Amino acid sequence: MGVALHQPETVEDAVRLAGQEVDARFLAGGQTLVAMMNSELIEPAALISLDRIASLKGIRINGDGSVHIGAMTRHAQIAESKDLTGVHAIVRDAAQVIAHPAIRNLGTIGGAVSHGDPNADFPAALVAADATFQVRGGDGEREIAASAFFQDYLTTDLKDGELVTGVTLPKSPDSGRGHYEKFARADGDYATVSVAVALAMTAADKVDWIRIVVGACGPAPVRVAEAEDALAGGDLDAAAVAQAADKIAAACDPLDDVRGSTDYRRLLVPRLIAKAVAATRTRTGD
Amino acid sequence: MATAQLVDLTINGEEHEVRADGATTLLDVLRDQLQLNGAKRGCNQGVCGACNILLDGQAVRACLVVAGTAEGREITTIEGLERDGELSPVQQAFLDTGAVQCGFCMPGMVISAEALVQANATAGVEEIREAISGNLCRCSGYVKVIDAVRSVTGG
Repeated sequence: MGVALHQPETVEDAVRLAGQEVDARFLAGGQTLVAMMNSELIEPAALISLDRIASLKGIRINGDGSVHIGAMTRHAQIAESKDLTGVHAIVRDAAQVIAHPAIRNLGTIGGAVSHGDPNADFPAALVAADATFQVRGGDGEREIAASAFFQDYLTTDLKDGELVTGVTLPKSPDSGRGHYEKFARADGDYATVSVAVALAMTAADKVDWIRIVVGACGPAPVRVAEAEDALAGGDLDAAAVAQAADKIAAACDPLDDVRGSTDYRRLLVPRLIAKAVAATRTRTGD
Repeated sequence: MATAQLVDLTINGEEHEVRADGATTLLDVLRDQLQLNGAKRGCNQGVCGACNILLDGQAVRACLVVAGTAEGREITTIEGLERDGELSPVQQAFLDTGAVQCGFCMPGMVISAEALVQANATAGVEEIREAISGNLCRCSGYVKVIDAVRSVTGG
């Protein structure tokens, strides 16, 4: 026995191998998958490493101003990217606070989202950035919005044999900006609560639109359209933000675990939202 | 079906042929096949940092790298830092500063510091703290580690 290792150089070969092997897993950066194998939480029969597929690596700005991040782009590269500005800065913020430097040197955005952990940093940030994921499988390619991708604890919209190949962030408007606020017990830990905010202002300096997404507070990132709509057209004054934050907190369903009790997390959510919205509102320079 | 394959690895400038399957990590190869025991198996989960090595100059967890994926890459362990019998400046600084207590975390800590110094020769305190943030020292001896790295970077 043993675990077979395949190292294809194209997405086509990776998907084909996944269709042939029984109980195979795609191996991205390995920073979660290999840890799970080491602790025998999973025992796949084969790994299909994506590391040699050059087309899955790197960040590029498309002609329409949208940004494409290849699935095998490392957290460290995203954390340092100068291409992620305006609303897209949320994604860079999130990458900067994932675990520790050595983990960020190998961990990838494709692997992180495919794992579907709602306590991780990318899910809330990518929903707030209105990201779309490109997915390839035996039946071809499809796209899915981040907001529909994350479904439950460690459960995504991915079907057997499907692979996330990239993440696309829509063009950030000129007035667009973003911010990712993480509250954790210690540097590098998973969030107790995290809040990702994206917003754009009108020419009259009113809120054009705002997206507020809470992470680590339920089976998937939490977003309440009604609360966001109530802030549109306004100035983001403290009372209005507090009212929206209470609505969003009410929609959260946090776990009771070592990182915080359910009640504690519910108390944190509105405070962290207020902090994150203020930080987004005043963010300049990128 | 036997799934272990022969894998050619470049470790501390030397070529090694090892046997590895998809569940064999670089740490397994280093410790169990090559007796390079500097990198420690602390948690085997990527949490403690005691197994840190340099992969193409970047600090990574040896316990979280599938050995076969490291073919063609330059692997440096704590054993490979000295040159001509001389400790690296970072190693010497740890010694001179008295940064070592029980020592278990030290190989990983030194590797993190090496990666930092190679990328940023004038790193300041905050950058040093960030660089070693993923290295747990259960003697809680972080202050002298930071002092040691500062003595190299002038930060």
